[in-house]
Amino acid sequence: MKITILYGTETGNAEMLAEDIQSELEGGHDVDCLNLSDMAPSDFDASRLFLLVCSTYGDGELPASAQPFAEAMAAEQPDLSALHFAIFGLGDSEYDETFNHGPKKLAELMQAHGAHQIGERVAHDASGADMAEDLAFPWAEEVIALAGAALGEAA
Amino acid sequence: MTAGKIAIVGAGPSGCFLAQSLLKSAPGLEVDLIDRLPVPYGLVRYGVAADHQGTKGVARQFARVFERQGARFFGNVTLGRDITLEALRGAYDAVVLAAGLSQDRPLGIPGADLPGVHGAGTLTRALYDHPDAGGLPGLGPRPLIVGNGNVAIDLLRLLAKQPGELDGSDLGPVATGWLAQSGIEEITIAGRSPAAQAKFDTVMIKELAKLSGVSIRVLGAGSSDDPAEQKKIDAVQALDGIATGPRRVTFRFGLTPVAVVGHSHVEAVRFATDAGEEVVPCTSVLTAIGFGPSGDLPREALLADATDAGAGALAPGLYATGWFRRGPRGTIPDNRADAQALAARILDQLAPDPAKAGRAALAGLAQAVDYTGWTRIDAHEIKAAPEGRCRAKITTREEMLRLARHQETPQ
Ligand SMILES: Cc1cc2nc3c(=O)[nH]c(=O)nc-3n(C[C@H](O)[C@H](O)[C@H](O)COP(=O)(O)O)c2cc1C
Repeated sequence: MKITILYGTETGNAEMLAEDIQSELEGGHDVDCLNLSDMAPSDFDASRLFLLVCSTYGDGELPASAQPFAEAMAAEQPDLSALHFAIFGLGDSEYDETFNHGPKKLAELMQAHGAHQIGERVAHDASGADMAEDLAFPWAEEVIALAGAALGEAA
Repeated sequence: MTAGKIAIVGAGPSGCFLAQSLLKSAPGLEVDLIDRLPVPYGLVRYGVAADHQGTKGVARQFARVFERQGARFFGNVTLGRDITLEALRGAYDAVVLAAGLSQDRPLGIPGADLPGVHGAGTLTRALYDHPDAGGLPGLGPRPLIVGNGNVAIDLLRLLAKQPGELDGSDLGPVATGWLAQSGIEEITIAGRSPAAQAKFDTVMIKELAKLSGVSIRVLGAGSSDDPAEQKKIDAVQALDGIATGPRRVTFRFGLTPVAVVGHSHVEAVRFATDAGEEVVPCTSVLTAIGFGPSGDLPREALLADATDAGAGALAPGLYATGWFRRGPRGTIPDNRADAQALAARILDQLAPDPAKAGRAALAGLAQAVDYTGWTRIDAHEIKAAPEGRCRAKITTREEMLRLARHQETPQ
């Protein structure tokens, strides 16, 4: 499958995880990995599955590297109705009121432009006991399996 | 592949993010991180609060810088004592000062040197088992915190917490006992600016709503026409009236300290306010009003003579990043952005000289602790963690060095 991993990060944790997911998937798939700050809405290609990895900052906001992307989406209003994405979030339950609100906002932004979310949004908790990759690798495997049918090819 | 040898002085978050960024762009570089402590990660280990383990998660990225990106750690090496800045510049194509700012900015008002006045940095190092820290002082029943940045809020939160609220932290046994027996009845936190311009992050304020043993009052938070400012004010105001326990917490704003009052010990602080002078009685004063250089490096002279201080270029082949360059403002994200910008500039200007000795110049330093030495200390600390703690920090240099060298502790 052709996959693009897009990460939104502020202190680099999401970037490290995105690169780990890329290494994990590379054997079986054609995988790109890109910072959301380098992604233009017009670059979306419906033949690829988009795996979004995004943290939360400020008071439940998108992290810095996802903000220019959100602004570009608002300005360009792209039609993403043929697009499929899945999303993995990073946050910290210490901030319980806004726990994982960044990825939630990003998913809503994609859906508002017609993109189809595959699978559940999985959340890593920086104050929890799990390593992000221990949650993210099974998530990636599962959403790739689910996406197989949607993208019209075997996972 | 870019060759070249770069030494970074200070293995805290700024130095580590710089090494990460340099090696990501140019994996062939020789990047060495030098630190005066036998352990890396600086303020991530000794500044980020013990109950903010999530924020300390960036240390996993830093471990990768050593484990996969090939940076080397030279711990327990003090610039000026073990090797001079001149010698370092002679041995490397570029030297970057990322030594941070560790001294508490003094209050600079009459009475500020009275017993009972403590800097937040000094206190924080003692709380978090920094090997060079002194003991933990008695604060009495009514400590007064001066400042309204995140450091002040961290201190407030720690002092206000019940023992059970520290579960999952890496707070050591001495600090844990000290907090449990503090006898604190009331904590006042006084900021110079109005709440609208307070420096703390809103999430840090919201977190206080979870405290289980406090009665909070917020006085004079004011209002603002600016929505971002009003959001901050609302967050503080929302704490007013929280009553989960007996320890009183009072927020004050617009109070400029004029004098610390007392005979042989702090008894009160006199403030200037819009409404005139006000004297707030207290049993100790904790100042959290910023940090300055430790004096090990001639920071002021270096910055004054800099080619481009704003970009971190001090002189040919000499750079600065993080707090050392910018001053004590900004948190981990700002320092990461700073480091990434500086990495680009260094790589642009780098003119590798194959005759430079690089890390061979450090080879004679027998006391240096390498990354493997740190992993031994780290593994020991994690294994020794007691119930309710995620780590038991080693508190002395001697013990750190012994563990780094893989020697058994004498029973
Ligand atoms: C100042 C600050 C604010 C944060 N705010 C939130 C928040 O509102 N909600 C949340 O779930 N996590 C929050 N976090 C936690 C981060 O999302 C978490 O540490 C994550 O691993 C960071 O990933 P990154 O390095 O890719 O940005 C915050 C962290 C910091 C330091």
